[in-house]
Amino acid sequence: MIAISGCGNREERPLLVGMELAYPPFEMSDESGRPAGVSVDLAHALGRHLQQDVRIENIPFDGLIPALKTGRIDLIISSMTATEERALSVDFSDPYLRTGLAILAGKGRNVAGIEALNRPERTVAVKIGTTSHTYATEHLTQANVLVLNKESACVLEVIQGKADAFLYDQLSTYRNWNRHRNETEALLVPFQEEAWAVAIRKGNDSLRLTVNDFLAAFRKEGGFDRLTEAHLAEMKQAFDELGYPFVF
Amino acid sequence: MCIPEQDSPVWRRLFHAGESGTPWWAHTANAVAALLLISAFFYYCLRQVGYEWNWGPVWVYRQKFVTGWLVTIGISAAALLTSTFIGVATALIRRSRILILHHAGTIYVELIRSTPLLVQILIFFYVIANAAGVQNRYVAGVAILSLFAGAYISEIVRSGIENIAESQLESARAIGLSEAQTYRYVIFPQAIRQVLPPLTGQFVSLIKDSSLLSIIAIEEFTLNAQEVNANTYSGLESYLPLAAGYLLLTLPLSLWTRRLEHRFRYAT
Repeated sequence: MIAISGCGNREERPLLVGMELAYPPFEMSDESGRPAGVSVDLAHALGRHLQQDVRIENIPFDGLIPALKTGRIDLIISSMTATEERALSVDFSDPYLRTGLAILAGKGRNVAGIEALNRPERTVAVKIGTTSHTYATEHLTQANVLVLNKESACVLEVIQGKADAFLYDQLSTYRNWNRHRNETEALLVPFQEEAWAVAIRKGNDSLRLTVNDFLAAFRKEGGFDRLTEAHLAEMKQAFDELGYPFVF
Repeated sequence: MCIPEQDSPVWRRLFHAGESGTPWWAHTANAVAALLLISAFFYYCLRQVGYEWNWGPVWVYRQKFVTGWLVTIGISAAALLTSTFIGVATALIRRSRILILHHAGTIYVELIRSTPLLVQILIFFYVIANAAGVQNRYVAGVAILSLFAGAYISEIVRSGIENIAESQLESARAIGLSEAQTYRYVIFPQAIRQVLPPLTGQFVSLIKDSSLLSIIAIEEFTLNAQEVNANTYSGLESYLPLAAGYLLLTLPLSLWTRRLEHRFRYAT
């Protein structure tokens, strides 16, 4: 504790970027256990922009904002949607990705849309602390909402028929449907649009403005296209075929 | 160096436990001092974190804490009854002369005691309960918690039974008691005294272990606190009531265990 508060030279310290490495292809671990994915590459590009070393801190999603508030990390790049509620606790950069919430439904469950799920006989799985968790708490008041700690558990609940649907973002929903085409179906038209942004400790305006500068420059020099090509090529193709605008 | 207790100065009696008993005021003063020291340490840690406390949003969700706390009590109570039954049955089965029963009991106890509860919950719920068609996750949760605690309780019961001297069993046989009668009149009355204190301790563990059921979306105390955490983005504000809520359940049980241990110390 003393060491943390007492250390002086901030420039020597690496930039501590918090994310949950359980969200491929954005935040994950490669075969050798090292952090990898879109957000990891983005964090390192930011580090190059700041001329600062980057250290990735792997923290569960619902623990990210508390970790930022207590100073354990400097910023969050973890596919985090900039919401009004979160903005009460942290500051957000300009958005860098647009997506929406989609539905992974069990096959044969006759889920026509999000309204069809707001019934007492329906069970909906969500991951704790995500925007779909907030959505379900506020809007699906009739349904039975299962709150789980892991995305994999949510998918399992749908496959085993314990839940009618799992609410999550478009890309993950597509990925999960792709892996379990026999047991699930995907409703990819978003029932709620959202944008992801970098979260920064409240009041740290200099870092927030630097991150905004970086994001604008990174977009201009085609950085996001390179990230898409490296990590999301297959998904982009599928989105193009379905006629949905891609996320970047 | 030996100083007679009565002659030792007051300050010495305040800080040292005497061989012939310690005055109550020394105990109280030292307990309060220890509590203050530990509180000061926690206070220091919290100050160091530099955390901005905001109890407002968490207070809005107070009902969720109460509901979760009650669910935890319900689940623990149900698992307590079932696990006691499983534990006693397994202890008897393992003493059985029917070999397959004996070995089945042993395998069950070793499997449970050698794997983490977290893994058991996931396997039990998503594989075994699913295959058995148990759709109610609360029933599944109580079942796995009971199976887990039952293995430990069976060991407690077994040691209670085995602590009874061989000569007593021989005497029982000599006066013509059947095996059932031996259990009923010789073994159980004595074993219960041996078993009760560790059993109460096991129930304390059971209450704490029930928090792991949060991973299969059972809305008990821990999951509800985590949800409040997620909804309010607070972090630490939910964990303090969570700790206090568990202490409220486990401390009385722990103190009771202490009393039981004291009472049964010279009983056999």
